[in-house]
Amino acid sequence: MSTAWQFYITTVLIYLGVDVMACWGLNLQYGYTGILNFAYIVFQSAGAYTYAVLTLGPAPRASFQQYIAGANLPFPLPILAAGAVGGVLSAIIGTVGLRRLRSDYQAMVLLVISLIATVVITNATGIFNGAAGLALIPKPLQSGLNLTLIGYQWFYVAFVALCCLIIYWFVRRITQAPFGRSLRAVRDHEQAAASLGKNVTGLRMISFVTGGVIAGISGALLVGFISAWSPGSWLYQETFVYFTALIVGGVANNAGAALGALLVPVAFLEATRFLPPVGGPGFIEALQWVTVGLLTLGFLWFRPRGVLPERTRVMALPEVAAMARPDATRLPVGGPQAADPTAAPVARNPTVEDPAATSGTEPAGGRP
Amino acid sequence: MTALAGPSKAMLTVTNLRKHYGGVRAVDGISFTAGRGRVTGLIGPNGAGKSTALGMIAGSITPTSGQVQLDGIDIAGLPSYRVARRGVGRTFQLASEFPRLTVLENMLTAVQGSRGDTLRTALLGKRYWRSAEEANIRRAAELMDRFSMTPMANELANTLSGGQRRLLEIMRALMSAPRLLLLDEPMSGVNPSLSLCIQDYLLQLKAEGLSMLMVEHEMSVVERLCDQVIVMAQGRILVDGTMAEIRSDRRVLDAYLAG
Repeated sequence: MSTAWQFYITTVLIYLGVDVMACWGLNLQYGYTGILNFAYIVFQSAGAYTYAVLTLGPAPRASFQQYIAGANLPFPLPILAAGAVGGVLSAIIGTVGLRRLRSDYQAMVLLVISLIATVVITNATGIFNGAAGLALIPKPLQSGLNLTLIGYQWFYVAFVALCCLIIYWFVRRITQAPFGRSLRAVRDHEQAAASLGKNVTGLRMISFVTGGVIAGISGALLVGFISAWSPGSWLYQETFVYFTALIVGGVANNAGAALGALLVPVAFLEATRFLPPVGGPGFIEALQWVTVGLLTLGFLWFRPRGVLPERTRVMALPEVAAMARPDATRLPVGGPQAADPTAAPVARNPTVEDPAATSGTEPAGGRP
Repeated sequence: MTALAGPSKAMLTVTNLRKHYGGVRAVDGISFTAGRGRVTGLIGPNGAGKSTALGMIAGSITPTSGQVQLDGIDIAGLPSYRVARRGVGRTFQLASEFPRLTVLENMLTAVQGSRGDTLRTALLGKRYWRSAEEANIRRAAELMDRFSMTPMANELANTLSGGQRRLLEIMRALMSAPRLLLLDEPMSGVNPSLSLCIQDYLLQLKAEGLSMLMVEHEMSVVERLCDQVIVMAQGRILVDGTMAEIRSDRRVLDAYLAG
């Protein structure tokens, strides 16, 4: 394979890894907890800027770029710090935005925060060098490894893949456990969840902050690869690319989120690069946004649960006959359906053969 | 206020409870007691303030003033999750199932303080919480068996009929092992034959000693289930007594006709 192709493929793979990771973070917030975080890109950006300033070193006085908190921390501290900043920023914004507002108003507040953040960082040039942004951001371990350009590209692919595995392990543990079920209960009916003793605000905050940490890490990995970051990289529309990825791939399904990241930000937007130049300058780019919107609408209309829908958690039941209570009052044979002429057709009682399903394992081939 | 007869001690004591929305007095200083192991009915015409009162007891509505004592401890103004953790289960006027969770998952959600239900314990992995989960599944299976809902265990809640959703809500509330069960119109939208079945279940729970406070419009249901009936109108309590006492009270008839 030619060097050019290797460079292209590794670049696409790194973007895919970063997008998959970001989609898992957003999936935790939106898919599992129902938080419409329209400011998601801000947390990714906070991670990116954190990584940048903590690797660039203190800003020289007469430099083409000015920024705050410059330091030269060794690997992997800048990446961990990026996650921490994403989490802390989420905690601050979540404390204000998630406490007393209904979810639709929360979405509006978060969208406005996204808009304000871009304007502030663009105009306050002393923070992260304004609209010009930060450049020449060091790549992690590049000087120490002494690899060729392509060799480093493949190293970075492996590193991002490793980070993806760690994030996946983390997200899967959360979503498979009873804790993940509580998050989904909050998503489905806040009031009912609260009436069952669930601290709805607390659960939403945990999900929001965890998603923020993941977003921050994904931002650090992205900027560590592309070595530059400016407000143009994180306009509010970028959040909707991730939302579209989730809606297309399938919300509340980690495999769906990964598929969405592959289909929308990588495959779909990458494919448009190969279109012949038509229209004026920026026409193709504008068309990308239009098609992202159309994709969202189309899927919400025709396949709202995405390509890989949320799976039904089938669990094995213990032997019922052994537990039957002789004093129990029972409905007529056939269950409540028999007594309810308006009821839907009797549902199939799934036979479970997977013993692991007892603990909430998602079986393959969930019902759409 | 009718004094509770016999050895029954008050499970719930509501004192001078108010909820004002601006100038509107949705609940205007109601006081009553609900006995342990008894079913207390809360009835009245539309707009009487029954559901608001129930919401204040459950913690979903913050009272303007007043006290709600559960076993002598004031729970007024506590958020609903803390009220629930003190042993108050509830069902809602409108279906409140978790639609994208299965029936079994709906029930497991109600278990409080279970292993794996915090971020830390979730990260400890399946080995840590599997045995507790299996015990909870056994409990849920027993309840589903009792309510003849076992065939629906692994079906999504949004595929259930209206009556089944009512049953699920009751089963889910029972899964949290409540001391007091608040029922907001449990028979609404349920056909008569299933309503009778649900009434049988509730009578059985009563016989087992569960205290219940129920908002209900259907008088035959109230008559069959309730030991004590409280009639509300325009945010106040008109009458508090047995069904026989309620039936003979002229003010009740007037309130319903006026309402």
